[in-house]
Amino acid sequence: MEIKRTAIAGTLESSDIQIMLSKGTEGIQVTLKSDVEKQFGDQIRKVITSVLKSFNIENAKVTAVDKGALDCVIKARTITASQRALEIADSPEWEVL
Amino acid sequence: MKSLGISDFSEQEVEKIDETIGIYKSSKLLGTGSIAGNVLKYIGVCNEDTVPGSSFNTIVSELINKLAQKGIFHVFVFTKRKYEKSFQYIGFNELAYSKKGAILESGAANIETYLSHVPRVTNQVHKTVAAIVMNANPFTKGHRYLVERAARENDLVYVFVVNNDVSLFSTSERFKLVTRGVADLKNVIVVDGGSYMVSYLTFPSYFLPDKEDKIKYQTTIDARIFRNKIASELNIKKRYIGTEPFSKTTGIYNKVLKDELPPRVTVVEAARQKDDTGSVITATKVRKMIAANNVKAICNFVPQTTYKFIEDNFAELHARIERGININGN
Repeated sequence: MEIKRTAIAGTLESSDIQIMLSKGTEGIQVTLKSDVEKQFGDQIRKVITSVLKSFNIENAKVTAVDKGALDCVIKARTITASQRALEIADSPEWEVL
Repeated sequence: MKSLGISDFSEQEVEKIDETIGIYKSSKLLGTGSIAGNVLKYIGVCNEDTVPGSSFNTIVSELINKLAQKGIFHVFVFTKRKYEKSFQYIGFNELAYSKKGAILESGAANIETYLSHVPRVTNQVHKTVAAIVMNANPFTKGHRYLVERAARENDLVYVFVVNNDVSLFSTSERFKLVTRGVADLKNVIVVDGGSYMVSYLTFPSYFLPDKEDKIKYQTTIDARIFRNKIASELNIKKRYIGTEPFSKTTGIYNKVLKDELPPRVTVVEAARQKDDTGSVITATKVRKMIAANNVKAICNFVPQTTYKFIEDNFAELHARIERGININGN
């Protein structure tokens, strides 16, 4: 699916992650800022990418600012950002969740 | 706020604010922040009784989410250098700094995205590349001369058109006039200056008169963004400017450019062009002639392309002046 507009979800508070999704042209590009990038950077990117794939988003720019979020939080925030970016927040695709 | 000795906000500072938020614990204010356009302002938190930084992050998150609701995803902040780290921890990137402060941005459309959309030529790293930043309000024979000269002396010339809609000619009109005015010069690329060159954001005193030290700070930031982010990325080695006989702001700007850009970027200053009768060509004069209904005189000052546009849109331009648009600025 194509991203219709830039969207944001999450906060910058401890244990949360802020995900911003915008249009891209070269696949899924994740820019990640995290204090635990060294330890968990790959895992965080993997979670974000897999959620986007489940929405069939092929091209997107992702800006993520992580404050130590657990995987379930990363997943939840990415889902919300995707639904907003695809403008389907009113009629979520329950099957991908 | 007053108990912390913060009470000296001037009218000018407060009137531009769109929204202000605060965190309270019972009736005590623990933190506050504001937004004005796409800029975060006046963020202050009290770290007493909390984990340092947590209130700060709450405030900034809330402000960013409020801006997102308005459809603004590209956010700027000006801050003192000692607070820069706090913003960098939450995803802001520095654009430039000077002794007085730094400017940082955050969001999807950052300076890298902007630069990635600027057209390049093959083998650009081995070419001599020059740049001119112009408001072109409107594009005159003086602008044309400067571009022509740069095009003659370099392999490639970027003309960055200032992006703002606060004066007589709109951004899209000015962009069109520049593009048409240099269409015959094949090694010239006209680019939208975006948020990064003489923008209302980084250099507001270009558009509104201000005190000298403020102008110096703003022009230093503008020059450093150009030097460190733009020139280096596009291999720009020269910047052409016109001498400034009239405007105080542009005069200071030219001086700051000469102080800041070399040795990485050479500043080439060209003398102002004069028309057949020997009077100096400036866009300000052209705007005044429009205001004074003096269409005939304009053709000495502007190329045919601009003249035609002014002729075709004379009624509209005049209506804008009558509605009180500022024609005296830069």
